[in-house]
Amino acid sequence: MTETLFEKIWNSHVVVERENEPSLIYIDRHLVHEVTSPQAFDGLRLNNRKVRRPDLTIATIDHNVPTTDRSLPMVDETSSTQIKTLEQNCKDFGIKLFGINDPNQGIVHVIGPQLGITLPGSTIVCGDSHTSTQGAFGAFAFGIGTSEVEHTLATQTLWLEKPKTFEILANGQRKNSFAVTSKDIILSIIKKIGTDGGTGHVLEYRGNAISDLSMEQRMTICNMSIEAGSRAGLIAPDSKTFDYINNREYTPENYDNLVDTWKENLMSDPNSKFDKSFTIDVEKIEPQVSWGTNPAMVSDVTGTIPTPEDYGKNNEIQVESAKKALAYMNLEPETPIVEIPIDRVFIGSCTNARLEDLKDAAEIVKGKKVNSNVNAMVVPGSQMVKHEAEKLGLDKIFKDANFEWRESGCSMCLGMNPDILKPGERCASTSNRNFEGRQGSGGRTHLVSPVMAAASAISGHFVDVREWC
Amino acid sequence: MIGNVIKYEQDNIDTDVIIPGTYLKIHDYNELATHAMEGIDPDFPSKVKEGDFIVAGKNFGCGSSREHAPIALSTCGIKAVIATSFARIFYRNSVDGAFLLPIEIDDATYQKISNSDQLEVNIEKNEIKNLTKNEVYSMKPFSEIIAKIIAAGGLFKYKK
Repeated sequence: MTETLFEKIWNSHVVVERENEPSLIYIDRHLVHEVTSPQAFDGLRLNNRKVRRPDLTIATIDHNVPTTDRSLPMVDETSSTQIKTLEQNCKDFGIKLFGINDPNQGIVHVIGPQLGITLPGSTIVCGDSHTSTQGAFGAFAFGIGTSEVEHTLATQTLWLEKPKTFEILANGQRKNSFAVTSKDIILSIIKKIGTDGGTGHVLEYRGNAISDLSMEQRMTICNMSIEAGSRAGLIAPDSKTFDYINNREYTPENYDNLVDTWKENLMSDPNSKFDKSFTIDVEKIEPQVSWGTNPAMVSDVTGTIPTPEDYGKNNEIQVESAKKALAYMNLEPETPIVEIPIDRVFIGSCTNARLEDLKDAAEIVKGKKVNSNVNAMVVPGSQMVKHEAEKLGLDKIFKDANFEWRESGCSMCLGMNPDILKPGERCASTSNRNFEGRQGSGGRTHLVSPVMAAASAISGHFVDVREWC
Repeated sequence: MIGNVIKYEQDNIDTDVIIPGTYLKIHDYNELATHAMEGIDPDFPSKVKEGDFIVAGKNFGCGSSREHAPIALSTCGIKAVIATSFARIFYRNSVDGAFLLPIEIDDATYQKISNSDQLEVNIEKNEIKNLTKNEVYSMKPFSEIIAKIIAAGGLFKYKK
């Protein structure tokens, strides 16, 4: 019988499986951050439970850390309390914490891969929906809520319903592989399959257009799987995967043997059956810009803002949602995308703040200046990314162009720390969600790639970045 | 369960509008509840009554894994969210912590239910009675797996 990659990982982690019951699945790695964990630790204390495998549990602080000078005291008391709470919880329960001043601190989905914690074929959870990022390594990585965080802490297992499988086949060659990025590929996919197209499914991205991507580009794809409603995103590991993890701080000692096993097992068998399938030709993909308030409301950069009727076709709810989105975004139908002026630029988040993202953005920015109407910032995904970028002099390129260069964290992706949009401000953002108020109450988010964000910062409006490189 | 409907005729009501990110630092459930639905309906906490139901379109609760979303709604008194479909993490969070029932209905039923209607929800019979309009609808049954977690009273009480 043939099996998909997902089914192989699932089957190798089943502890208990009975008909019409949830399956008990073993969890290999549990990543923890300050926002979704406090009640879980409270629950453990209340029931006098310990953390079952502190050695498989790793914590960091990312959501509400300030990205400005960290030697200064924190102004926001509730954030400070949440951070201190995680520090105390990690101390009490014996969990390794990459704290606010640790060189390994960073966005949880960025530090897992860069430390060699994320391994192919493993099961990885975190109380955060973008855990799907780590599926780029051929791991079943998915976000969970706080009740499940508590359950994982207590038992290192979870009761799960087995998701279905969904093949996303991406073929062809991008016409300009610098200006048309993996962000544009995933936004194009979500535009087609919708924000709930993947509900109940694990997506497996396949095809030459996926294997052509670097590991960091693949992470951007898997990161946004959740925006299509899916449980997780997966890419079968290959030599790029194995090279990326090699010689990291937490890479296992028997790494070569592991790679041999992974090479033999971690792929969908030929002719294996997926429950759903979708094919996309990347040759036709242009740089993308979101115009609405969910990640499926996306347009080609050479396009215009759609009319609600064109967007919704004959679906009244869709037409209404487009009207509501355009009102919130303060956009008129048929406006060319390249004529939309912006106030802010945010290059950051677990979607697009790794070293390659910053290198590509710097390539665009080099020797130019941010438009005088725009306030632009770069927030590296981790302190390690920041350090490596500084070694390459990227910080100087950004600062010379009048970008702010910050400390790492989730920052303006979700508006939990002081980095937020003011009401009415319009932002070109490399993050993952353009929901109403996501980057601050009344803020207007356009999702774009790092190179598009960089070029827009210089121009003061969206541009066809293909003309820049 | 009997309660009144607060209807949002929208798809994709995401967790950022159910409870905006800035409030995720709040540890106290009652304080969290004062910001429920603030992203689309700032009056929600003042108009919601114990036992009310939210009715909405598809993909309710999409976005973040924050369990704060079902917690905020349930602390306000919401006993069930009745929608044409749910995002998976919100769905599991609602059930895992026994905060509220995520009930799926078809499009036709969604169209028939109006704001302020009084409903009686019976999950044993998979039935929703509209007491205001004197109509009866069927709801999509919970999967056996989810039904067992609900019957147990949440994830931690579900033991084998």
